[in-house]
Amino acid sequence: MTIQYWRIRDRYYRLIGSKCQNCGDEFFPPVYRCRGCGSEKIKDKEMPKTGKILTYTQLHEPLPGFEAQAPYYLAVVRLSNGARVLSQVVDSPAEKVRTGAKVSATVRRVRVDGDSGQIVYGYKFVVS
Amino acid sequence: MAKSKAYVSSVGFTRVGDHWERSILDLAVEASRKALAGTRVRPQLIVVGNMFSSVGSGQEHLGAMLASALGLSGVAAYKVEAACSSGATAFNVAFNLVRSHAVDSALVVGVEKMRDLEPEEVSQALSMAESAEYTQFVGATFASLNGLLARYYMEKEGVTRDELSAIPVLDHLNAVSAEHAQFRKAISPEVVGRSSMVADPLRLFDCAPVGDGAAAALVVGDGGASRTKKGLMEVMGAKVSTAEFSMYERDDMLDFRATRAAFEGAVKDSGVPRKKIDALEIHDAFSVVGALSLEAMGFSKRGMGAKDAKAGKFSRGSEIPINTFGGLKARGHPVGATGMYQIAEAYMQLTDSAGKNQVEGAEHVLTQNVGGVDTTSAVHVFGRAA
Repeated sequence: MTIQYWRIRDRYYRLIGSKCQNCGDEFFPPVYRCRGCGSEKIKDKEMPKTGKILTYTQLHEPLPGFEAQAPYYLAVVRLSNGARVLSQVVDSPAEKVRTGAKVSATVRRVRVDGDSGQIVYGYKFVVS
Repeated sequence: MAKSKAYVSSVGFTRVGDHWERSILDLAVEASRKALAGTRVRPQLIVVGNMFSSVGSGQEHLGAMLASALGLSGVAAYKVEAACSSGATAFNVAFNLVRSHAVDSALVVGVEKMRDLEPEEVSQALSMAESAEYTQFVGATFASLNGLLARYYMEKEGVTRDELSAIPVLDHLNAVSAEHAQFRKAISPEVVGRSSMVADPLRLFDCAPVGDGAAAALVVGDGGASRTKKGLMEVMGAKVSTAEFSMYERDDMLDFRATRAAFEGAVKDSGVPRKKIDALEIHDAFSVVGALSLEAMGFSKRGMGAKDAKAGKFSRGSEIPINTFGGLKARGHPVGATGMYQIAEAYMQLTDSAGKNQVEGAEHVLTQNVGGVDTTSAVHVFGRAA
């Protein structure tokens, strides 16, 4: 997935999502069309880096490429601007990974890609 | 579009489970031959429902491949893909072409070969139903999305572990007497609650198993119906609907909007009042998905799907039994084939060929087949042929 990853690296490093130029709603992942008002006047916008956990899970059977990290936490995070992000939650004690917990975004190594060993970076969240 | 009547005039299927010795084509041919046996109808169209033959078998172009294997080269043939709802979505295409007179008859085959893959490869293949760039990228499996949903459901609606276990328990009980089911063994809620953790709070027995299988149906219009000797089931209504692609993008994650719209559309299309539906085959790929599906279709109030199941509302012998041959959890879930197993099971119910699993006096059966976390939903309403 080298090219696929390179193409949208800014979205992974800086949480670049979308802002509707009509109603102001913000989204991550980015959208082609506003889910609130339907406008197609959409521009890139860097997302805020803090939010709260809406729901979480601890995954015991990982996706290939993530074996070394298992078991790991995943959460749906509601950012302070209302956008919802699916992300890993890392570097946080188990008793703090809870619904409603405040989290902040950070950049971490996501995985090492294939035999070529390309290191893929992206966003993860930490309980703050 | 001028609509006329359309029927399922026969079905065929393999047992669901491990078919180590057989290829994806072997399975599709067996189901097709059983559906075509004894009929003089030569289908004008073959539609194959399948999710990931490219990954599972290194094979695409299934339509022409099956047509050739069946000696039907010359007919139109192609594959329809909509993740785990590929089977019923393929059926929907064929049904609409038959009832609009584009073709007189069609063979629909749902098929999936999963067991040639290692478990982690199956996980990777299923994750293709979700966004590669934002869901797979963070290491989320399909099961983990349902784990997120299950925790949200339990916390928001006050659902207990035992209540969540009720649909898997019901499924396993119904599958004991289902010859084609993958797991024909009754289980207790304790077995579900003690099984290994997959994506907290979902455990192994909350999740449908991995298996191979194929199920087929012959769809005919009025012309074909007169040339068949087997029992007929009328296809009364149909609707496929979609929702915002990823579950976490939705304002209300517990509202299965695709299923709600597909259900309302199919029921309206059928002209059958909701109260006259006698049995449901629902898409319980995960226990939480079964519960939320019942709520979206209005058979349970919000937050009550799992609780109603625990109270026996959907058990065999109740007013509205579900998953009469074991559902996805126990009959099995060969993903692209599942919707066609549901339709074959509706056919058995409505032609009095369901054996020990017969729902006495069933006049109408509804099937609901979902792709993604209720991202695509295909609902059909069936009735006895007049």
